This record gives sequence, C-alpha cells and structure tokens, in this order.
Amino acid sequence: MGVISTIFGFCGFGVGISSGLVIGYFLFIYFQPTDVKNPEIRPLVERDSETLQQMLPEIPLWVKCPDYDRVDWLNKFLELMWPYLDKAICKTAKNIAKPIIAEQIPKYKIESVEFETLTLGTLPPTFQGMKVYVTDEKELIMEPCLKWAANPNVTIGVKAFGLKATVQVVDLQVFAQPRITLKPLVPAFPCFANIYVSLMEKPHVDFGLKLVGADLMSIPGLYRFVQELIKTQVANMYLWPKTLEVPILDPSKAYRRPVGILHVKVVKAMNLKKKDLLGASDPYVKLKITEDKLPSKKTTVKHKNLNPEWNEEYNFTVRDPESQAVELAVYDWEQVGKHDKMGMNVVPLKELTPEEPSVKTLDLLKNMDLNDGQNEKSRGQLVVEFIYKPFKEEDLPKSFEESQTVQKAPENTPAGGGLLVVIVHEAQDVEGKHHTNPYARILFRGEERKTKHVKKNRDPRWEEEFQFMLEEPPTNDRLHVEVCSVSSRIGLLHPKETLGYIDINLSDVVSNKRINEKYHLIDSKNGRIQIELQWRTA
Amino acid sequence: MGLISGVFMGMIFGIALMAGWRHMMRYRSTKRIAKAADIKILGSLNRDDLKKICGDNFPVWISFPVYEQVKWLNKELSKLWPFVADAAELVIKESVEPLLEEYRPPGITSLKFSKLSLGNVAPKIEGIRVQSLKQGQITMDIDFRWGGDPSIILGVEAAMVASIPIQLKDLQVFTVIRVIFQLAEEIPCISAVVVALLSEPKPRIDYTLKAVGGSLTAIPGIADMIDDTVDSIITDMLQWPHRIVVPIGGIPVDTSELELKPQGKVAVTIVKANNLKNMEMIGKSDPYAVVHIKPLFKVKTNVVDNNLNPVWNQTFELIAEDKETQSLIFEVFDKDIGQDKRLGIVKLPLIDLEADTPKEAELRLLPSLDMLKIKDKKDRGSITVKVLYHEFNKEEQLSALEEEKRFLEERKKLKEAGVIGSTMDAIDGAASLVGSGVGMVGTGIGAGAGLVTAGVGTGVGLVGSGFGAVGSGLSKAGKFMGRTITGHSSKRSGTTTPVNSVQENGGAKPVQ
Repeated sequence: MGVISTIFGFCGFGVGISSGLVIGYFLFIYFQPTDVKNPEIRPLVERDSETLQQMLPEIPLWVKCPDYDRVDWLNKFLELMWPYLDKAICKTAKNIAKPIIAEQIPKYKIESVEFETLTLGTLPPTFQGMKVYVTDEKELIMEPCLKWAANPNVTIGVKAFGLKATVQVVDLQVFAQPRITLKPLVPAFPCFANIYVSLMEKPHVDFGLKLVGADLMSIPGLYRFVQELIKTQVANMYLWPKTLEVPILDPSKAYRRPVGILHVKVVKAMNLKKKDLLGASDPYVKLKITEDKLPSKKTTVKHKNLNPEWNEEYNFTVRDPESQAVELAVYDWEQVGKHDKMGMNVVPLKELTPEEPSVKTLDLLKNMDLNDGQNEKSRGQLVVEFIYKPFKEEDLPKSFEESQTVQKAPENTPAGGGLLVVIVHEAQDVEGKHHTNPYARILFRGEERKTKHVKKNRDPRWEEEFQFMLEEPPTNDRLHVEVCSVSSRIGLLHPKETLGYIDINLSDVVSNKRINEKYHLIDSKNGRIQIELQWRTA
Repeated sequence: MGLISGVFMGMIFGIALMAGWRHMMRYRSTKRIAKAADIKILGSLNRDDLKKICGDNFPVWISFPVYEQVKWLNKELSKLWPFVADAAELVIKESVEPLLEEYRPPGITSLKFSKLSLGNVAPKIEGIRVQSLKQGQITMDIDFRWGGDPSIILGVEAAMVASIPIQLKDLQVFTVIRVIFQLAEEIPCISAVVVALLSEPKPRIDYTLKAVGGSLTAIPGIADMIDDTVDSIITDMLQWPHRIVVPIGGIPVDTSELELKPQGKVAVTIVKANNLKNMEMIGKSDPYAVVHIKPLFKVKTNVVDNNLNPVWNQTFELIAEDKETQSLIFEVFDKDIGQDKRLGIVKLPLIDLEADTPKEAELRLLPSLDMLKIKDKKDRGSITVKVLYHEFNKEEQLSALEEEKRFLEERKKLKEAGVIGSTMDAIDGAASLVGSGVGMVGTGIGAGAGLVTAGVGTGVGLVGSGFGAVGSGLSKAGKFMGRTITGHSSKRSGTTTPVNSVQENGGAKPVQ
C-alpha cells in the first residue's frame, strides 16, 4: 500500500511540478511587460553615500589614472548623435539580416523570422578615458576605455509549426578596452592605411535573453557559462596580439611610387612668331610634368631663329599615367627683363600608348582655355617625340614592404655576412651656436656618408637610408653618427659646427635584426636623433 | 492520498521554482539597469559630482574648463603631422589658388603660390567644446592654434614689374573653428558639415612678409595689398556667418538650410562728411566714400574735388546675411594719382539697427578698425549716414539671390574683358578702374554706363564678377574640406559635390 501511494506520490509530484511550473510561468513571467523602460537616472547629488559607495568600481578611468585623458566632448558628441546613430544602425542591421533570414528559413521549416522591435536604447556608449602611446614607429596607438551599458530592446519573433515564440535581448552591457592602431602612416588623406583593432583584456559581456518572456540568463550557472563562452570566443579572435584589420586605403597607392618613365624628345619648332623688336625671337622650351614638385626642364636657347631645331631629350618619372600630363611652353629668351611666353600646349599621358614612340606636332596656344578667341591665332608648331615606358612588374618595388619585417639581403651577400642598413629618420632640438643647418654624418669602418642639409631647422627630418655591405656581422663595431651644421653664408667665420654626436654599439642590431630608437646626442643640450638600424642576412 | 499530496507538493515546488526564477530575473535585471544608470551618470561627471564622490581625496589633476583639453589628440596630431602636411599641400594649392586669383587686388596681375610647404610644427588644438544649439545639429568649437614654420612663397606679378617672390614668414593662426554637423538617420549619420571661423574672438592670422632676393618696396603698397587680400578671403569665405558647407557623400539632403542666405537689405544713404583730414600737398583732399558689408560687394560714391566737407547724398542698397554678426563698413578715401589714400574707416554693426525704421547717425572716422593698431588719437572727422534695414520675406529673398548671381556673373564677364582689373574693384559712377591700368578701349561694353547715374539695366551689364570662379574655388575648397573632414577614404572625397555657393554671396546693388 505504502509503495503504491509513494509511487502515486511521485507521479503526482511529477505532474504537480509541470503544472506548477506552467501556473508559475503564467503567474509570474508571462504577464510581465516585455517593453523596456528607460532607466531612471537620478543626479549624483541626490544620492547618499552608501549608493555612491556602490558606484565606485564604475568610476571612469580618467578620474583614477592621470595617464588617461578625459574625452567628455566625445561622449557628448556621441550622446547627441546617438538617436540618429541608433536608427541608422538598426535600419542597416534589418536590411542586412533580411536576405540572410529569407535564405536560411526554408532549411529549418520555419515560417517566418522577423524583428518585432529593434532599438539600441537611449544610452550611448561612453568613453571613460583615452590613452595614447607614442612610439618611434610610423603608427598611432590609442586605447579608449569603452563602456556601453545599454538598454536595447531586440525582439525576434519566430513562427514555426503554427506556434510563435519570441526571443528578446535586453540590458546588453559591453565593457571593453580596445587598442586601436593606425598604421602605416602615409602622406595622403586620411593619412593612414590600415586600422588594427585588438582587445587588451577579455571584454565583459552581460545581457538578458528572454525566451518567451523567461530570462534564460537568470538560470543559475547558465549565465556564467554563456558569458565565459562569449568571452573566450571573442578573446580567441581579437585578444591582443590577435587583431582585426580594417584596410582603409592601399598604402602603395598612397605613396605614389613611380610607375614608369617618359622620354620626351623636343625635336623642333616651326613658324614661331617674332617677339623681339630687332631680329627674330630667341626661343627655348620649358618642359614640366604636372603634379611633380621638381622644377621644369629647359632646352638650350636658339638665338635668332623662328624655326629652331633642338633634338634634345629629357626623362620624367611618371607616378600616375591616368591623370598626369606634360606641359610644354615655348619662351622667348631675353637678355634683360621677363622672358615672353610664345605659346604652350599640354599632352595628357593617357593619349600615349606604352612602349610606342609617337611623334606629335602640337599647335602652340596662348592658354589651355578652349573658348579663348586668342587661341585661334597661329603661333607656330612644336614637334615632340614621346615614349612612355611603364616599369615592368618585376621592376616595381614589391608592393609595400612592412617596416616591421626585415628584408632579405641581396643575393650576392657573402655567407655569414650581410647588409647593414642605417636609416636616419629625424632629429629634434638640435641647436648650433651660430647657425643651425643640420645634416647627419655617418662614420662606419672609415667610410663616411652624409645626409642632405636641412636649412635653418631645429627639428630636421631626413628619412635617408644608407647601406653597408659587410663580410661578417659587425658584433664588435660601433657606428658613429654626428649632426653637423654648415654656415649658409660663405665666409671664414664659423664655417662648420658639430651639433652633437652618438656612438651606437652594433652588437644589439645583429642579435635583434632591427632596432628603431631615439638616442640622446652627446655634446648637445636636448638634441635627440632617431635612427633605425637593420641587419639583413642572406 | 499520495497522489493528491504529490500533485500538491509538486505544484508548490513548481510554482516556487518559477517564483525563484522570476526573483532571480528581477534581481539581475535591476542590477543591470542600476549599473547602466551608474555608468551613464558617471560618463558625464561635473565638478560637484566628483567632489561628492571623492571628498577630500579630490584628484588634483582634474579640472573642468569650458573648452576641454585634448592632450591625446595633440600627441597624435604631432605624430601624424608630417603626413598630413604632405597630403594637404597639394590640396591647399589647388583650392586656394583660384581664391587668390578671385580676391587679387587691382594693381597685381597674378598671384600664385610658387612654393608651399607646411613645415614641421603641428598645429595645436587647445580645446574642444561640443554643444547642441539646434535640434538635429551638433556644434563643435575647436580652439585652434598654429605657430608653425611653413614656407610659403607667393609669386606676385604686378603690372610692369617682373615676378617677385614674396615669402610669408612666422605664420601664426589663432582661431576658433566652428564645425556644425547636420545629423541624419542614415549611416554615416552626418549629412553635411559646415565649417566656419568664429568671429568672436576674431580670428588672428599673423605673418611677416619678406621679398626673396628683392625688396618689398619694388611695388609700393604690396604688403598692404597682400594683407588686405588675405583678410578679405578670410572674412568673406570663412568667418562666421560665412561658411563652407560640405555635403557628405551618400545621403542626398537639402543643405540649403545650412547655407547662408540673404536675410535683409540695407539702404544706406551716405549724406556727407565733415572735417576730413587734408592729405594733399596742394589744395584739399578729393574725398569719396566706399561702403560694404562683404568685401566682394563694395560700392562707392562720386568723388567730390577739393573739399574737406563733402556732401554726397547717394543711396546704395546692400544685402545682409546675418544681422547678428555683420556690420556696415564705411571708408573714406582721397582720390589721388596712383594709390588712393584712406582718410578714415568706421563700422556700424547691423545689430544696432531696427527693422524698417530709418536711422541717421554721425560716425567718427578712425584710422583703422583694429583698436590695437590705432596710434594717433587725432580727430579724423565724421561721416553722416542714413540707414534703413529691411528684412526679406521668402520671395524677396529668392529674387535677391537671383540678382546677386546675375551680378556676379556679369562682373566676371567684365573682368575677362579687362574692364575691371579684378573682382575686388569697387564700382563707382564712371566705372573707373582703380589702378589696373587696363583700358576699356576695344571692349565695347565700357561705354561709361554709370551704374549710379545710368540705371541698373546697363549697370548690371557693366559690373561683372567671377561668380563661376568663386563657385569653382569654393568647390575645390569644399573638396578639400571633404577630404579632411570626412576622412573615410580617399576615394570618397571624389564624390563630394561642389559647394553650392549661390546662396553664399550677398550682393551689393547700386540704385538710382
């Protein structure tokens, strides 16, 4: 009897539990409102010291650590922009998700999946401090401390087998400390080529996941498990030194390396106009390639000649054959006063076929304005021969060499030996007594190399590379670098001055392969010099 | 019995489990919400809050200035500067050269950069302030300082003189840049950016001019001319309320709201002047008055010969875009052979005027508008003017815009024809050419169609200007701004549409 009653008791308990769960579910959970309320934010002044005590762990980093900069302006900006950003992001997310959902649904026999609500809430992410690091490399490193305690409401309704279920994500909180590195820096807007993002520590993620109204994350143990899972997953992907790379622009393009050579041969001119009062004109041709900083090139002057023949050849390096053009202008040479322009023309490089010589007879114009009536007057012709030779693929410097990876030494390097590369980047705060026109002088095993002179500058940038081919590693050698200044005026007084020097032991370079550091100059007040050394072995 | 008690117990257990779960949910939810609230409030701490939290341990390194310091940004900027400078040089050259051409003073035939490098001293951002002055807009004020070592060499060509390279040295820029972001509900959330220099505090741009391999005295007054040109470009293009509007690619939006539009017109009657200074060796000064709101739209009176108390009684209409910040500038000159001498200048802020009520004022002339530059306290006489400000309604605004556009186009044509040497020339009765030395012969249009005397019809025909040039200049400037500000990718800037500058220029229209 007792046995049966116990069995019944167990059965009843089983039934009771399930019905109890259902009743409890309806009683306590189902009739809960699913909308997300905005949190009530009371000003700090109203709070008592006990609640303040509870807030202390969340206090922004810039209050605690002086090396973090405050970015309230950025927070304010973000706050003002947030309503718009929220709508924009949600819209984009919906648009992206829709086709993916539509594609996936048939596989799982689900009727429909749709966002019932999608909003990221009223609370924007906040930056609780910003730290930047200055290194000697061509990169910018910043570490914002990001805290996003949001009140989003993402409800997804799933219909399957005639039933409908909703999944709701609420109270998402993400705290992370990303490191954002912009590198390499390039001389074209936006001035960096890639963005690297990595996390300095495991991010903190917390949220409520309501399945049909019940928050799964509240099941003891599950939350911890899920959070840990997410953290490790994210950490696996982006925890430093793993990074997320976002390319912004092609660095090789930004540098605008030369892609070819243009040979221009100025053959002759015909029927030029007489410009001088006495006798014929004295013509010469000025050549220039657009978007190049180099001064224009000039032919010789043919005196008293209206049909001069030059047959002179010039070479230009071409960086962008699509947009560049050659400007040719004929001038009349004068002994005194300004040289008169006799006419000009422009040849876009687009018009030239690579590797094919083309002879062009150009009409000289007053200017390049097509509507100008003055261009109809004949000013003579100029005969020019062009050959555009693009560099072949193998000639091109390999796309963009990362400064971090040390290149291999050239083939003919003797075994055991290598190539010592010295790159003199820049100096700071060098100052001479009488003049400051600094250049760097490098002494290595009796060999002397010099950079170009920078005139009147306390912070010269040279960015020059020197190479020394060596039979064996320079383990016991030193490199002597001296910053000197030469007077810009020719005179016996103070002809040359040393602004500071440094001796660098090369054994470190051999073991490290690459060193890029700033050295304090000896015999200089505050002078520093940044030198990169590389030891390239076969 | 066992069954019922089992069911009962089970139900109680089940319900209790659910209740427990719910309690857990509640607890966790409130904890999260409280944390969110905390973080929100801690994200915008002010001094009092921090005092309350920290008490006696208040960190000494923290202060709360209006303009927040951005040390980290400066650090990054100084590192990035060599690259920015390299990239910017080309763009600046492209965008500023047409502007120089546009604003080039008469007497100089060509003004170009022959060398431009921005040096290796990075600008400093002294502080940033973010506020929202209008719904849907974010206003960011950047306190910008640059005491750089750029090497800027201008190639200046004047009539009859060969090109002289003039170097701008010791450039210093102190200004507050106002950037307004117009928000939109599409990625990237910003539909347009408005850039201007705040007029208060007045932008300070200092530099010294030096002739390379020559002397500045080769062209008399060239230093002043360049100063004036730079000043005009800045006040007319950038200084609030003038602004550069850069629509950001991707979102088609109506930016006309952001553009500067004619707000009203000012009818100015220059009645007379009294007790002017005598500048001539023989006889007395030959005074005329020039009045403008924007430097590109100057109008001037007739010259009254040999009189220190001239009576002009001439009326002009000028267009104002922003009553709050703009002013009428009156200048009195002595007509002379060669360079005209300035007898005095005075400013009448438009904010002093009441709409549609005439006002008569006698203004004391000053040697310069810049109080710091005034050396002598001598009396320079006074000028009497009558001013009537009329606020435009919608239709008038549109017609004023049209008028302005036409005016500028005509003026451009004339410039090409060589009647006026530069768009900067003021217009007067006989369309006389200030120092440009280019005759009207052979142009045919010149025929003395005095604007003031002969009426607007022909008058408009006579006075032209480089409207297109302004437009193209602006569009390039726009492109430049687009590149720097959006900074998404270099490709993007190409799509930046040229700035529509039609609305930007106020016009001066001489009337009968």
